[in-house]
Formats: sequence, structure tokens, C-alpha cells
Amino acid sequence: MNLPNYEFLSAPIQLITVLHLLTLSLHFLAMNLLLGGVIIVLIAGIRKQWDDPTLVKFVKLFPVAMAATITLGIAPLLFLQLVYHRQVYAAAIVSGWFWLLVPAVALVVYYSLYRTSLKGDRTGKLSVPALLVALAGLLYISLVYSSVFAMAERPKLIHELYAQDQSGWVWNPAIGSYLLRWLHMILGALAVGGYWIGAIGKNSPVAYQTGKRFYVTGVAVAAVAGSAYLMTVPSLMQTRAIWVLGIGILSTLGSLHLFFKKKFCLSGMLLLGSMLTMVYARHMVRLLRLADTYRPDSMRFMPQWGPFGMFLICFVVVLVVVAYMVRLLITKRSAELSDSGAAN
Amino acid sequence: MIYPFWDVTTGYGILMATIAIIHVFISHFAIGGGLYLVVTEQMARRHNDEPLLAFLQKLTKFFVLVTIVAGVLTGVGIWFIIGLLNPLATEALIHNYVWGWATEWTFFIGEIAAALIYYYGWNKMAAQAHLIIGWIYFIFAWLSLVIINGILTFMLTPGKWLTTGNFWDGFFNPTYWPGVIMRTGVCIMLAGLYALLVAARQATGDFKARIVRYSVTWGLFGLALTTVTQRWYLSSILTTLTTKVLPGSILALRSAAWLAIVIGGLLMLAWVLARRLSKIIAGLLMVSGLVWFGSFESFRESVRKPYVITGYIYGNGVEVAKTEKYKKEGYLAQITYRTGDDGADLFRHACRSCHTLEGYRPLKPAFNGADPKFIASIIRGAHLLNANMPPFFGTPAEADQIAAYIYQRIDQRPLDQIYPAADLGRQTFALRCAKCHKPGTASDKSKSFAGQSTSDLSTMLDNLPELAEGMPAYTGTAAERNALVEYLQLLGKAAK
Repeated sequence: MNLPNYEFLSAPIQLITVLHLLTLSLHFLAMNLLLGGVIIVLIAGIRKQWDDPTLVKFVKLFPVAMAATITLGIAPLLFLQLVYHRQVYAAAIVSGWFWLLVPAVALVVYYSLYRTSLKGDRTGKLSVPALLVALAGLLYISLVYSSVFAMAERPKLIHELYAQDQSGWVWNPAIGSYLLRWLHMILGALAVGGYWIGAIGKNSPVAYQTGKRFYVTGVAVAAVAGSAYLMTVPSLMQTRAIWVLGIGILSTLGSLHLFFKKKFCLSGMLLLGSMLTMVYARHMVRLLRLADTYRPDSMRFMPQWGPFGMFLICFVVVLVVVAYMVRLLITKRSAELSDSGAAN
Repeated sequence: MIYPFWDVTTGYGILMATIAIIHVFISHFAIGGGLYLVVTEQMARRHNDEPLLAFLQKLTKFFVLVTIVAGVLTGVGIWFIIGLLNPLATEALIHNYVWGWATEWTFFIGEIAAALIYYYGWNKMAAQAHLIIGWIYFIFAWLSLVIINGILTFMLTPGKWLTTGNFWDGFFNPTYWPGVIMRTGVCIMLAGLYALLVAARQATGDFKARIVRYSVTWGLFGLALTTVTQRWYLSSILTTLTTKVLPGSILALRSAAWLAIVIGGLLMLAWVLARRLSKIIAGLLMVSGLVWFGSFESFRESVRKPYVITGYIYGNGVEVAKTEKYKKEGYLAQITYRTGDDGADLFRHACRSCHTLEGYRPLKPAFNGADPKFIASIIRGAHLLNANMPPFFGTPAEADQIAAYIYQRIDQRPLDQIYPAADLGRQTFALRCAKCHKPGTASDKSKSFAGQSTSDLSTMLDNLPELAEGMPAYTGTAAERNALVEYLQLLGKAAK
């Protein structure tokens, strides 16, 4: 029967890869703010290191950070599934229940963050139990992602695991293949969380100092975990990823330097650059691990430039509108406040 | 068959429906609720109506907590579950519509940003600016419907896409426009229902009456728009689908029609009791709305069967384009992930998407007392059972393997040992005949048994495969046969 074929890519693989890497970096930035921020605020709250208004100020940011994390997480997963569908779906099916629990756990995390935020608004206090629930949920989600995506890079393992159990209750047993990767991400989140806490809390010496401490320590320990992870992929050293990672390290150091000088905007841009290089390295690891079984550029290319153009135009329009809305929020508020000040 | 099969004891249909119905119920409110908020805020600002503004602020909090949190994550849940339940169809959709989805994602960014700014902006932004944000929210939210509706309706009525493969042919398919307008009506109706839930918590009095009646107007307008456009939508489906409309689909559609009447009635009641509208009535309206939506979505899903993408991929992941290949090479040759138990692998890929052995749409009760030969015949003629069963394209040997797999798990005793003698004829008929010839349906053959002698009916049972294509041979025991003949005579007499 002569029906349309679905096994094609509607844009060049390079373009899809760039979009994937870019959106994944943005997702990581938001996710790290959330995960790292929750850990730092919890530690500060439990140790009573910060005053309540400072804690509440950060806690109120978490629901927004969660919204950003989810929203920015959709596009990279879409582009990933477009190219690596066979691997990602197969791994997700083998761990079906753990995978399906991700949105359910995220729902609990989201409501816990709102609960903390609303309680902070109402009482001016930190809700430690709700924040602990949120942290546990975030750690679960990150671990499932690491486990499933690490499994997706090992087609042979998927076959073996599936042959043994088809119930979807299979957890990736090759813990060694993703524990360091996961640890690197968590420690990296602490570093990025430290950056955000310091940047947002720049006017509070205690918040800035805490952020700085976590940023520096986080970078150091994440570098150790990252290097240990790289040792498990020796072939990566022979690719250009190693040079890109070098740029990433320099970029991180530059970001730290600017952070110390309290030039947060530039520091953040370098941090995003560093994030991009880490994401690129992960991408290279995936390509290397799958090299024997799958080459993404082997997929047929059948362009859909019209729909792609629609996406591009809408993307630009939405970014402009979002910027406009943020401007409205800031300027109109200041204008109103100054009006009421003048009236008084 | 290139993916592993998630063998969950829960039926696929239940898993999918649970997540999907909750999501659509919230996501449609996310659109209609946005319109309700901004239109009502505009009205309140124009009349300097402070109580109304306070109500809207409360509604916004509820709106954000429901739509941004539960709406978004159940949406992610749908995406996760479709990849688990039918990865091949999801793959096909993503490859064809990645830029559609990516475009929806951009609107989603705008929608979420606007919702948060609208929520946090109450009492902090200038009135005009706040209204602008409200309108931006609604426009993005509605545009996301405009996009996702193209993909959703494509699955039901792919239209010219099946021959051209063109993105736009599939997107603007026969049910696209009725779908957009009908779902817009649903959004408006749900805005009214959700607002009533918040309004019911207000103290009894004039303000409550005003808010309730205002929200009832939204509910009724949305319901009317939905009802009118639903006819257009239905006519677009029924004329484009090649399969006949199934009894299950009719039932779902009738339920939706009755529930629409119930919703209309409850809205009227809310109007009458506006000053003291109780939370119970508001809650009943919400439940009715949810069940209505469930019935409608169930109709949409059932009318699409046996396909998951009409004319392209069957519900069990079998690709229409590869049917000749399946017939030639069999299913096993196409199954990438094997477990070492061929019968189980075949059962999973051919049957398990819709049937479990004992839970959802169970096969065990349907085959208890049957023999492997009969089960294999039923598998080979699955599409003849009813129009929502995909045909079996595997080899005859594979049908035997599936039959053996099922046979090992059913009650293998003959029917005369399972059921009392008095009920044997009816049970034999249920097992061997009623799967196709259910009394009271179009394929009921009871009248033809009238006046037939025992020997006539016995001869008929000996020659069943010659009567029609796909009729399984009679393979039961002699005791079952005698009881069946007696039962057929009883049916004949009753039908006379």
C-alpha cells in the first residue's frame, strides 16, 4: 500500500541538534536554579542561617522556576524523541512505571512548592516539610531521567532487561553507567543554584555569601564528578568534545570571576555557555555509545520548511511578547508606585 | 513491533483515559477560564466593581493552581503515556508534526508567562497593563488549541494526507474546523462551570446571585455552541470514516447527549438558586462536565477504532502500509524485542493493546472451555467479530501460537464440566456463536433456526466454514453440540 512514510527528519539533523542542545541548556539552567535553590534554601532554613524575609523571597521564586523548568523541558524532549525515538521509547517502556511516575511526582513537587510559597506569603515562615517533599521529588525525577537516558544509550542492555521482565518495573541495574552522571548533575545544580541565590540575593550579604560558597564548592565537586564520569567514556577524549569541554571549564572560571566582581549578567551568560558545552559533551557521549547501532544522520531528510517557518516566526513573536509582558510588569508597577508616591 | 511492549495488568484504555480525560477537562478550562477572567475584569474595571475584582482575584489563584500545575503536568503525562502505550504511532506523529508541536510549545511559553504575570500582577500592575496581559494569555492559550487540534483531528480523519503526506493536508483535515469551534465552545462552557465552583463559596446575597447568573450565562452559551457545532463535527467524522459506527460509540455519544441535557438543567437550576447556590450543585455540575467530556472523548476514541491513526496505523501498532509484509513474513519476524516465549510475544503485539487475560476486556472468560483450534479461528477472523478489531495479518502458524498461549491460561475443562447441564446450551452458544451473532443485533440469526430439525441444525454445525467467510468449524464436545442444537431451536421458536 502506498502510504506516506513517517521515518524521516523534517529539518537537517544539524539544525535539530542545535535546537535540542540550546533548549536543553535552558532547561538545565532553570532546573538547576530550582534543584540547587531548594537544597541551599533548605540548608539555610534548617540551620537558621538566614532571616525569614530572605528565605521567603527565594521560596516565592520556586513555583516560577518549576514552571520554567517544565516549560523549557518540553522542547528538548521533543527534539530528542524526534531523533532518538527508538532508543528513548524502548528504555522508557522497560522502566514504564518509573517513567510514568515522573509527571505524577512533578505534580506533587509543584504543589509542595506552591504550598511553601503561599505559606511564606501568609506567615513569613519557611515550610520545611513541604520543601523536603519537593526536594525528594526532584531527586526522584532526576534519577529516573539519568537511569532511562543512560539505558537508552545501551540497546543491548534494553534487549536483555526486556527479555527478563516486561512489566515496566525494571530499574536500570547498570548503576555505574549513570551514578556519576547523575551526581555531576546534582552537584552542578548546587553550583548553578549558588549562582542564582547570589545573583538574586545580591543585596543581602548573607544570601550572596551563601550563594558564593555553594557556587565555588559546587563547581569544584562537580568538576571532580564530571572528570570521573569522563574516565568511563575514554573514547570521548579523542573527539572535539574534549576541546569544547575545555572551553566550558574556562567559561565556568570566567563566570566565577565575574560573579566575585558582582557582574551577574555577564557571569550568567558565561554560565549558560558552560552549560552548553556540558550538554554538547553529553550529546557526544550518546553518539559514541550508539555508534555501532545507530547514526542519526542516516535518517531520510524530507524538509517541511513551511511548518518550520511557522515555528520560527511564532518563537520570535512569543519571545518579543514575553519580553513586552515582563517590561509591562516592571515599568507599569514602578510608574504606578511613583504616581502614588507623587499623589501622597 | 519495533518497540518493546509494556505488559501492564491495567488495560491500556483505562490508563490512557484516566490521564487524558483529566487533562482535557483542565486544559479546556485553561483557555475558557482565561477569556472569562479578562472579559469579566474589563467589565469590572469599567464599572469600578470592587467586589467583582476581588472575586476575580480569588478565581485567578484557583485558575493558576489548577491550570498551570495540574493542567500542564497531566499534559506531560499524556505525552509520556502515549510513548509507552503506542510508541510507533507517537513516533509517526512526532516525525510528521514536530514543527506543529514545537509551535504549540512557543505558545505554551507565552501562555505560562502570561498566566504567572497575570496572577502576580493583581494589585501590582496598572489596570490597563493587567488587562493586556489577560488578553495575551487568552490568545496564546487559544492558539495552542488551534495547533493541537490539528494533530488530534488528524489522528481521526487524516484526509488527503494519506495520499499526499503533506503537513498541511493532514493538519487542516476534514474535522479540523468543526473541532476548533466545538472545543472553543467547550472551553467557554467549562469556564462557566469552574467559575460557579468558586462562586458557590461566596456568602449568600446579591453579589453571589449576580456572579452565579453571569457564570451560568457563560456555561449555557458554551453548551449551546458546543451542541450546535458538535453536529457539524459528527457529520464530518461519519462521512469520512470508512468503518461503521459501533454500538459502543453510539452509547458514548448518547451518554454525552444526555449529559449535555443534565448540564443544561443544572445550569438552569443554578440560575434559579443563584443567591444561595450550594457547593453540591456546583460540584455536580463539575462532575457532569467531567463525565460529559469523558463520554465525548470516549466516542472520539472508539469511532477511530480499529486504528490509532485512521487508515495508517492500527490500534495494536500494526502499520497498514506493511500488511503485505506481515502476511508474507509473519509478525515474529518484525518483532524486534523478543522474550524467548513466541506465543507471549505474539499475544502482546497482536492482542494485548486492547485485551488483558483477566482484567480490562478480558479474554479468559471469553474463551473458558474453548479448544485451541476454535481460538485460532477466532484470531484469524478477528476483524469479522466487529468493526473495531484490527485484522490479524500474521501467519496461520502464528495464530495457532497465540491460541496455544491463551489456551494455556484459560479453564480447559469442557463446558459441560464448568456449567450445569441446564445452562450448557446457552453457554455453548455464548462461546461459539454469540461473538458474532449476538441476539438482538443486526447479525442475529435466530429467525433462521425456526422450524429446523435437530438433524438440520446438526448438519449446519458440521458445515459451518462453508456458510460464510471466517466461520470457525464446530470443534466442541458432543454434549455441548447437543445442548447447542436444543438452544438454537429455542432461539428459533422465540424469534418466530
